[in-house]
Amino acid sequence: MSKIKDLFESGKIKSAFIPYFTLGDPNYNDSIEFGKTILDNGADILELGIPFSDPVADGPVIQRAVARSLKNKFSFSEIFRVTKEIHRHKKDVPLVYLTYFNPIFHCGIEDFLNQAKDSGVVGLVIPDLPFDTKESEVLFQELRKRDMDLIHLVTPASTKKRIEALKKTSTGFIYYVTSFGVTGERREFSVDLKERIRFLKETIQLPICAGFGISTPDQAGQISGYADGIIIGSAIQRIIEENGHEFPKAKQALAEYIAKIRVAIP
Amino acid sequence: MGKNQPGYFGEFGGRYAPEILTEALEELESTYHKLKKSKKFKKELEFYLSNYVGRPSPLTFAERLTKHWGGARIWLKREDLNHTGAHKINNAIGQALIAKFMGKKRIIAETGAGQHGLATATVGAMFGMETVVYMGAVDVERQNLNAKKIEMLGAKILPVTAGEATLKEATSEAMRDWALNVSTTHYIVGSAIGPHPFPTIVRDLQAVIGKEARSQFKKQNHKLPNAIVACVGGGSNAIGMFTAFLKDKHVAIYGAEAGGLGPKPGEHSATLTYGKTGFLHGTKTLIIQDEAGQIVPAHSVSAGLDYPGVGPEHAFLSQSKRVDYRMVTDEQALDCFLEVTRTEGIIPALETAHAFHVARDVAKDLGKKKDLIICLSGRGDKDVTEVLRLLGEKSK
Repeated sequence: MSKIKDLFESGKIKSAFIPYFTLGDPNYNDSIEFGKTILDNGADILELGIPFSDPVADGPVIQRAVARSLKNKFSFSEIFRVTKEIHRHKKDVPLVYLTYFNPIFHCGIEDFLNQAKDSGVVGLVIPDLPFDTKESEVLFQELRKRDMDLIHLVTPASTKKRIEALKKTSTGFIYYVTSFGVTGERREFSVDLKERIRFLKETIQLPICAGFGISTPDQAGQISGYADGIIIGSAIQRIIEENGHEFPKAKQALAEYIAKIRVAIP
Repeated sequence: MGKNQPGYFGEFGGRYAPEILTEALEELESTYHKLKKSKKFKKELEFYLSNYVGRPSPLTFAERLTKHWGGARIWLKREDLNHTGAHKINNAIGQALIAKFMGKKRIIAETGAGQHGLATATVGAMFGMETVVYMGAVDVERQNLNAKKIEMLGAKILPVTAGEATLKEATSEAMRDWALNVSTTHYIVGSAIGPHPFPTIVRDLQAVIGKEARSQFKKQNHKLPNAIVACVGGGSNAIGMFTAFLKDKHVAIYGAEAGGLGPKPGEHSATLTYGKTGFLHGTKTLIIQDEAGQIVPAHSVSAGLDYPGVGPEHAFLSQSKRVDYRMVTDEQALDCFLEVTRTEGIIPALETAHAFHVARDVAKDLGKKKDLIICLSGRGDKDVTEVLRLLGEKSK
């Protein structure tokens, strides 16, 4: 059984806190420490970004993080090394990769999954791989063989027909994109967010976790009241951006922010 | 979608876009499917092509160039004589009409050399649509005349500073804008790239180039040409030229891609020569990438060819060997730019100068009494400042 399913069915959490950050920003060794800090301060699932040169679903903050990361020499062996170190720190927290499809395809699906699993990763989020492609079907079958999850994105623009159709190849949780556009902090969300999440919960028998735009403890507290989890990326990445050149300060700021959000989630 | 379903050309093509865009892509696909069969749409498109764009564009016999090269007879399909000076207007008019039929009031575009941005700004002005053009900051500099024209037409230029600040980054930014404004906006993709149905729509709208060239040549010569040549960045003028001749097996087809400064990664945009299968900007195609699947910045003297991907249909035509794609270096293109200008009295776009270089070799190989058509994709006014700067550097 998948580790993510275990977590949601354990009854230990009401709503999951899923932080995200890009590996390699500002360097791979600091990423290990950032990962550990986030785990220590209360992540239920940790989403690790594998940088890709052309992140079309990401806003400026994550784009800049990716650009900083790629100034280091990118290699899958570095990605897996760092992931293993983070995993070793707290083995019970499920790790998920978020990346675009091209690097996975280039690495080779089976090879990538074997190494990801070996590093402690239990699921994938791929913003540019729609569920109704041949490649997504192959990936889903390969993930199933390894008890790993394929986490699909559902958006305010997804039709009922598509939501019904993606049920077959969705596991772990659904990543519900709270607003139109790309990742990035926002002040307001669509008015029907609560209704959309309720509808998704009724339609898909999976936890529904909301992401894109959430940054403050208030937003986290409010949305986690009706979503099964909240995902925060850009706000975390901004802390790394603003303090990353001064490692202890970055670690401290990250720890404080994660703890604040953790407290806000029931 | 599957391997043999619409949107694929062999293994290439498909729709690999963020979920937020899927509904818009499906709406575009079904609208286009209906419009393709609609007499009203066809009539309206034909009206604008003939009364606004100035079609049909002439097929000119290049007498001096033929003598100068001493090989096959050279014919030029004059897309440079279209309104706005390039083939890009054919697609922009067609897609603006599609946007109008879908009730979208805002159009956006990405542009490299500025010709597609100019064409989009032009149709935006003509149809009264709010227009935003994403252009790499580097391209805003080197294609400043077009950037100024775009603004003069009332469109907003948003310079993109990320990465190499050229066409690839402008395309990513346009996709992000579309994701945010998908219900009110149509994204006029400028080349035969992007997620399905864009490569098909752009090809169909540009197919008028090849259709006209084929019938004009046949009417004048009572036969088909022996070869055709076009330049390929994303590949819209080329696919427009090639489509009408693909079934004519005895017509040799050549594509000219940017060999840039040399074969090292980062020095060229020769996707069909050095690219590997991958996924970029919503499509599966050949891409210049490193061993880890990161996209490598492209280079070309011509901003319009400076893109690390290529239309999926070209990837298929290259793999199936129906089209012979050849590399042309920056220097070769510059030489041809001057040669054609001084021999024929036509200043071609730097993009087209790449096609001329391949055509010169092919014309020599074919020999006399054979015929070759070059798609003169656009005029080179926009390149004059850059060419003078490069020639100045060369003479130092």
